[in-house]
Amino acid sequence: MSAVDASVLIPATAAATPAPVADEGPTRWERARKVVLPALLLVAGLALWQYVTATGKIDALILASPAAIVSAFSTSGGEILANMLVTLGEALAGFAIGNTLGLLIAIAFVHSDLTRRTIYPLAIAAEAVPIVAIIPVLILWLGNGMAPKIFIAVFLTFFPMLVNAYRGLRSADTDVKELLYTLSASPRQVLFMVRLPASVPFLFNALKLTACTCVVSSIVAEWLASSEGLGFLITLYGARYQIPEVWATALTCTAMSLCVFGAVVVAERLAMPWRRTAST
Amino acid sequence: MSFRFPRFPVSAPVRDTGPMMTTTMAASDPGPIGLRAEAVGMTYRRGQHETVALAECSLDIPRGTWASLIGASGCGKSTLLRIFADIVKPTAGVATLHGLSPAQARANRTFALVSQQSTMLPWRKILGNVELGLEVAGAQPVERRNTAMQMIELVGLAGFENAYPHELSGGMRQRAAIARALTLRPQFLLMDEPFGALDEITREKLNFELLRILRETGATMLLVTHSISEAIILSDQVAVMTPRPGRISHLVRIGFGHDRTAAMRDDPRFTACEAELRHALHGGAPLH
Ligand SMILES: Nc1ncnc2c1ncn2[C@@H]1O[C@H](COP(=O)(O)OP(=O)(O)OP(=O)(O)O)[C@@H](O)[C@H]1O
Ligand SMILES: [Mg+2]
Repeated sequence: MSAVDASVLIPATAAATPAPVADEGPTRWERARKVVLPALLLVAGLALWQYVTATGKIDALILASPAAIVSAFSTSGGEILANMLVTLGEALAGFAIGNTLGLLIAIAFVHSDLTRRTIYPLAIAAEAVPIVAIIPVLILWLGNGMAPKIFIAVFLTFFPMLVNAYRGLRSADTDVKELLYTLSASPRQVLFMVRLPASVPFLFNALKLTACTCVVSSIVAEWLASSEGLGFLITLYGARYQIPEVWATALTCTAMSLCVFGAVVVAERLAMPWRRTAST
Repeated sequence: MSFRFPRFPVSAPVRDTGPMMTTTMAASDPGPIGLRAEAVGMTYRRGQHETVALAECSLDIPRGTWASLIGASGCGKSTLLRIFADIVKPTAGVATLHGLSPAQARANRTFALVSQQSTMLPWRKILGNVELGLEVAGAQPVERRNTAMQMIELVGLAGFENAYPHELSGGMRQRAAIARALTLRPQFLLMDEPFGALDEITREKLNFELLRILRETGATMLLVTHSISEAIILSDQVAVMTPRPGRISHLVRIGFGHDRTAAMRDDPRFTACEAELRHALHGGAPLH
């Protein structure tokens, strides 16, 4: 308990000394507040969790205590990490392939009406397929290795990227398009100088929408049929009644999802320096 | 320049019919063909709704000379400019640039347009925006950087080349747009209220900068402006437009040579031109 209390105090005291800077953008306190307030809530939740489990108000089989989970990390951490890399690989491969595919097809749509009219209805129909429901079929077709997991992540990321990229590629102002037109720019120049830069905010919308989804879908697929990965590990630990390990694995899944999402957010800021100086 | 300027401002009243006007012009304009609009008509359609923006609009700007368009808001000035820039196609008549159709002129990159919105790519810094024209035209990076920096300096934006467009004032963006147009050394400069957002002092300074560049490059200019004095300072002829349908009602010749200084404002001819244009703008009959 005392350790938890101390950790409550650390961010609080750091935040209690507001920075004197007010030159550019939000003050240090305003920036810190974004981190501090959620952190406080998290710590309070952890404290409550430890309290109800340590005092036996909730059975350890139903909910492991934070302390037990920490020790599960120390005993099975290596195993969890190794399996995490498998899941991360599947999720990222699917994420990369699906988004690239979505973007490329959106670019094709912008340049050819025929392509758009041919492929778009099919893409919408495919989107309507409840992919999770056909996972068993996919496993039957593609085996229980990484392939079906990557396929599902591709499937889930592809459509949001296609829709957003298509909108983004067409989002440049008429003025800007007219400018490039009067300069006699080639379609390729318009694509690279106007369409793609204008679509960046839209692309990141899609990336943020699917960053967590592809992690979740990989885990669900592993959970159904796999011999490695975090989803597999959860079923394994569950079958062995290693409840703290189940929780440790679940937390790892969450952390991984968050990291993927965070990486997208950081990339977004780096990709749009012109937005950073815009009014906040 | 073979084109001679009349000593005193002469206004040429323009009748409704296009051909008549062309003959009137031809009589006084022996200069080589520059920008020419012949009985240009433009009707915008949206469903059932029709807007007649231009009707029987004729204008002849000999090569190497400068003309301004003035007229009430919405009378079709931008439309005429956009026809020359090949952004819209006229629904009647023809527009030519040095004998070429707007589409050919655009393909040859013989004109540069400074649009009313002083359009910038928000994701490019000012330098990148000014370089844009040369980049599209395929100039080498070093060359385009040097030219762009030169033009940025010329319009008084030195030190802002690494700022993003949204960090600049409207007037500064206008100057950046002018710099971009100038990097291409265009034969035809089409400018839509390029100095609209500038204060009187900066405006006049840039007016005379522009005159110097026009003299150096021998460019033909068509300028849209709301300022009578700017029109006089920058033009050999000022076309006054009347709205609904947009047509050129008066053509006022500005009898100053191309070597102009700020002292021209004190010239009695300047005042005479001013009076005449003001009169024309208010829909009056020609003074003479
Ligand atoms: N794309 C368009 N579609 C329909 N109508 C248009 C379009 N562009 C212009 N118009 C109409 O044509 C007329 C002339 O417009 P234009 O922009 O040429 O005026 P302007 O003389 O440049 O005015 P301002 O001085 O305010 O810039 C207006 O009545 C306007 O409503
Ligand atoms: Mg206009």
